[in-house]
Amino acid sequence: MVSTQYFIKRTAMAVVTFFVVISLTFAMIRLMPGGPLDYIQSQMAAAGQAPGEIAAEVERFSSINPQEPLWQQYLTYMANTLQGNLGESMWYNDPVAEILGNAMPWTIFVSIISMILIYLIGISMGAFMAYVEGSRFDVSWSTVSILLTSVPFYVIAVVLLWYLGYNLEWFPTSGHYGRGVEEGFNWEFISSVMHHGALPIASLTLAGFGATALAMRGNAIQILGEDYLRVARLRALSQRRIALRYVARNAVLPMYTSMMISLGSLFGSSIILEQIFQYPGVGYFMYRAISARDYPLMMGTFLFITAGVIIGVYIADLTYGYVDPRAGSGDREAF
Amino acid sequence: MTTNESPTQVTDTDVDVADPILSVRNTSVTFDMERGASRVLDGVNMDIERKEILGIVGESGSGKSMFASALLDAVVDPGVIDGSITYHPTPEESVDILGLSTRELKKYRWAEISMVFQGAMSSFNPTMNMRGHFEETIDAHNENYEEGMARARELLSDLYLDPDRVLDAHPHELSGGMKQRALIALSMVLQPKVLVMDEPTAALDLLMQRSILQLLHEIKEKYEITLIFITHDLPLVAELADRLAVMYAFEFIEVAPAEEILQNASHPYTRSLLNATPNMSTPIEEMRPISGSAPDPVDVPEGCSYHPRCPLATEQCREVDPDYHSVRHDHEAKCFHWEQAADAIPFTLPQQPGDSHSDADSDAGAGTGVNN
Repeated sequence: MVSTQYFIKRTAMAVVTFFVVISLTFAMIRLMPGGPLDYIQSQMAAAGQAPGEIAAEVERFSSINPQEPLWQQYLTYMANTLQGNLGESMWYNDPVAEILGNAMPWTIFVSIISMILIYLIGISMGAFMAYVEGSRFDVSWSTVSILLTSVPFYVIAVVLLWYLGYNLEWFPTSGHYGRGVEEGFNWEFISSVMHHGALPIASLTLAGFGATALAMRGNAIQILGEDYLRVARLRALSQRRIALRYVARNAVLPMYTSMMISLGSLFGSSIILEQIFQYPGVGYFMYRAISARDYPLMMGTFLFITAGVIIGVYIADLTYGYVDPRAGSGDREAF
Repeated sequence: MTTNESPTQVTDTDVDVADPILSVRNTSVTFDMERGASRVLDGVNMDIERKEILGIVGESGSGKSMFASALLDAVVDPGVIDGSITYHPTPEESVDILGLSTRELKKYRWAEISMVFQGAMSSFNPTMNMRGHFEETIDAHNENYEEGMARARELLSDLYLDPDRVLDAHPHELSGGMKQRALIALSMVLQPKVLVMDEPTAALDLLMQRSILQLLHEIKEKYEITLIFITHDLPLVAELADRLAVMYAFEFIEVAPAEEILQNASHPYTRSLLNATPNMSTPIEEMRPISGSAPDPVDVPEGCSYHPRCPLATEQCREVDPDYHSVRHDHEAKCFHWEQAADAIPFTLPQQPGDSHSDADSDAGAGTGVNN
């Protein structure tokens, strides 16, 4: 269903967007008055270092040599970034790529599990609410959904951490797995990871599923009023088939793209979330980078989050044709 | 079951036919609304002859679609249907449709009486190809898959569609006319005896309307089905139908063979309706809208429901609801003044030039509610 032409077009768009993001990152670092370069330079100068040394140091941290002409700085930065050289963290004195490489799986783990749970719970809840529209279940869960949606995830996170983490001590309050647990594919490790990840995932899910449930409810109610649903009932199709193949399928369609994009916003949420739970993922390091003015690390995490959104949208674009036959590739002729 | 209908009306109706496949008796559909009960089908009586084409005509909101839904006991919630509808699969058998259990009803709908909705455009699941629609229908009724699909292919070819192409297509890949024909094929895939079509040509252009009618005629002959064709386009259905029933204010006001209605319509409303229907060959000056508006289902006028808009209305019409008067054998009109209607409201049909052209220029108060 996805034609080569469409595939190439979408891939090119994703790549171009990514280039633009890297360029913007460069422009931000380079051109901001009082920006990171000035900051590093002034720190070095204050320490009494020679300009040549300062330039070398700056390049080590930010992949930008301030003594080169601007276009060359840009090319170098671009080349370095694409090779995965994101500079070196000023705070940790480790390569940014290495820090991110270690942190990334954890953030991806929390975000993806949360996204799956948000949409699983949200969609089933919303569909059921639509089926029993106007009933007590519908009204009460609509209210709960609105309430949960209006409470920010970090408030839920703090409450969960305080109550389940510190008060009841059911869940650990920091880290991504227990001390002394050996990393590997064994039950002890997996259960420890689950145990540590439960609260962050729960806060994102609790704060997120309400909006999905309400959206799904609205879509499903609309689909339930469609002519084809009436025809389907008259044709005596089974309830199961109508619910899954007719209502759910058509109601989920408009939410598919937003689901993919939500991965990006979940990455963004990780900044505060991982700080609250002391969960060393990308967000945790970004928060550290911001408070320590660790610009290279900040830029690296920024790139990571945008890349997350771009990849999400890219996958959504490529797969949408399979989910909705009408979108497809646009090259199938209507006859 | 007889609620507040006068019992004489039931006996007086001469809508019986020799071999009915469906008989509708004193059937009403009511919706409870805040401002009162909305009676959108009002004690209707009608017999549908086996293998006939019955055309049901009426303006928007006259209860046509309700009648169609009632035949399948598929009135949408919270509508309440009462009365009796009897289905005769053979002349000897009879099934009380309104008394069927949900499971029996599932077997009856689509397999015995099928329906084509207005708006074929939106009758298909947009995320499923046409084959899926046929397959699930066959599957839901536990029919033999091979035979069912063979029948589907044959029906599609009969409707001048390429089965391979159409079955593999998704709804959005088909044109309006193709979707309409595919829907007709889908409605007949289980070999129903009766096919109810609710405004099947409403969203199609004139050319497509004609060809669909032609196809329906062929299909009807080949598969020997009874066809109930609901439309607001009287001249259109007159060409197809054997018998016409005109609806006004949620009941039938005139029933007669199609030719008879065109030649000798006896209810003032039918005559005005013929004048009001736009037609390519009718000059615009000769088109006469019926003044006034259709009655509110919550508050149908006392007496004859048409009296506020009728040029012939008298004191009697305002007070007493008329019974059916037999204009001829098999031609009934629910009007006291059926004898005067022809002179009072002349109409011209493009098909019969000069039919009543002599008095077409004398306005005779045609369609202008002089009494109101």
